[in-house]
Amino acid sequence: MNRTIDCYFWNPNLRIDSDLEFTYEDVGDSIELKKPVFTVEILDKIIESIKQMRQNYLLSIDIPSVIDTIDRVNNLWMNPKYNGRKIAREVLPTLTGFSVEMIESWGFDHFLGIIKKENLPVFGKLKPDDFKEFNKLSDGLVKAYGEIKVSHSNYNPEVIGHICAGNILGIAAFEMVMDKLVDAATWIKVSSEEPVFGALYARSIEEIDPKLAYTIAVLPFDSGNKVVNEFLFSKSNIVRATGGEQARKSLSKVAEKYKIPIAGHWHKFSFIAIAREYLNERASEIAELVSLDVSAWDQQGCFSPQEIFAEIGGSVSPIEFAKLLAEEMEITSRALPKGSNSGKIQVLDGYYQYFKKEMMGESVKIFPSAKTHQWLVIYDGDTTNIEPSPLFRVIRIKPVNDIIEIPRLVKPIGKFLQTVGVAIPNDRLIPFAHSVGEVGATNIRTISGMTLQKAWEPWDGKFPLNELFEQDYIRWVSIDTNDIDKEIKNALKRKRSIVDKPLNIDRV
Amino acid sequence: MVRFPSDEWIKAFKEKLNKNKIYKEVAKIWEGDFLFVVTPDDRLKKEVVYYVDLWHGICRDAYLVKGKKKAAFIFKGSYSNWKKVINKELDPIRGLIRGMFTVDGDSKILLDQAKAAQELVNTANKIPVDFED
Repeated sequence: MNRTIDCYFWNPNLRIDSDLEFTYEDVGDSIELKKPVFTVEILDKIIESIKQMRQNYLLSIDIPSVIDTIDRVNNLWMNPKYNGRKIAREVLPTLTGFSVEMIESWGFDHFLGIIKKENLPVFGKLKPDDFKEFNKLSDGLVKAYGEIKVSHSNYNPEVIGHICAGNILGIAAFEMVMDKLVDAATWIKVSSEEPVFGALYARSIEEIDPKLAYTIAVLPFDSGNKVVNEFLFSKSNIVRATGGEQARKSLSKVAEKYKIPIAGHWHKFSFIAIAREYLNERASEIAELVSLDVSAWDQQGCFSPQEIFAEIGGSVSPIEFAKLLAEEMEITSRALPKGSNSGKIQVLDGYYQYFKKEMMGESVKIFPSAKTHQWLVIYDGDTTNIEPSPLFRVIRIKPVNDIIEIPRLVKPIGKFLQTVGVAIPNDRLIPFAHSVGEVGATNIRTISGMTLQKAWEPWDGKFPLNELFEQDYIRWVSIDTNDIDKEIKNALKRKRSIVDKPLNIDRV
Repeated sequence: MVRFPSDEWIKAFKEKLNKNKIYKEVAKIWEGDFLFVVTPDDRLKKEVVYYVDLWHGICRDAYLVKGKKKAAFIFKGSYSNWKKVINKELDPIRGLIRGMFTVDGDSKILLDQAKAAQELVNTANKIPVDFED
């Protein structure tokens, strides 16, 4: 018997379900997804209802009450026995191709932590003049690049739209939370690949505060549905979107047509830089942490590393580090295995491409996983330029004479740069961050935390809350810590808590 | 009527706050002093800084600062935005999120004390005030 999952959410008191047609999609494992077929008339009713609830309720309560609700909702999700989490655990592995371990451990236990009450970024607007050099913010550092020139501002957005990519769990939840902090009603287009979690999260808000939840509508519709897309844009004050190059092109056109500002987070490229000071007796620990960055979300995120630059001069050479990383990839993949979307073809592609090079006597060494193509580590001593990875846990390590050469190597793809995972001592980190920020990188994070954004950090150079009010030409670059050794120590504890206590599915 | 901003206003604020029983209750664990900075705009020519020492539901001291002064928290905004807060047209935390105010100090602590902050605003709102403009 099929289990039917509703992929939508709005105020049930609207009583529009009987006016709607629904589709039922069998996605395997006895799961079917129920999605509405929207008409403009129905969408109009939904948008009017979220606007009305914003006016009548959201604007009448104070922000700490909103934050308390968010806190209570998150506490629900932190409980492995919570019904919403149980449904997610049963359904998301089939939909996303991620393993249940990845979703449970890295997703719920860690990633959702960014919207915990104590992490919410309620510090107001920063003055770029105070951050002409890296300056303290929360437990990290930020620097402002560019000029203060506001191209759009609206400090009271009534309706904010979100178009969410499906590659990472949790974006929809993050967006709902951000909108409530800025007093806006929310519509969210969830991705076709993963249309479930957004609706589950909205329902969990409904359990705690129904009126707050009814300022939110979760709307699954096909990206190609021009009528629905354009209607929703036309009803919004701003739209924030995540997606690839195709999404950027098509959504930018709609935004232009309706003169609606769009905060876009498009295709990005991320990498790791390891300084020689960490390629010594600590190299194994560094490999442990790097293996988590490569394994998290099977490298599908914009913040996932595609290459590693390892500095020559430590007592552990870059090729020796590649071997250490391979050992750690095996250990990490046992705790966080791949799911049904294994990317076997991509891993094999990477393998054969470099197998030939190795056979031809090039300075290449392949370290494959013992079985089932779980991962692939490649040492490539011949190529210095940055290259995209086939992903699915395929990672190349390239030697560099000095980490300060890296910004020049990555400059050709500067506008696509996002996260740089680092193991660089504090005294060399700031000059490195300054240079790599100059060429386009926006988030410098301690290794193993590349896919674990801290809530105070900017996102692609913009602060997520402020971006909903203002668009300007300032690009913020962050370093996630002001003490990298302390951060590495904490990261090791976190990593070992995942690997040493693998998820017991029966327990949850 | 008391002029805002003035030393007289902050003294009136201290007096009213210490009579506010709700504040005394909701701020009973609060420990920390503030500088309330009113920055100039087209309605106010010169910056005004108030020092307010709040301790376990009591305002121990409050005065207009002449010269330099340090405090655990500095809450800063333009004269026009302060006027909106005093008139209860703007929630200070919403103002903070929108960048209309800035805070030096741990904003999370302020959020945890939001009810106390609300009572500070309620108290300020009860002072019959004569604004610059």
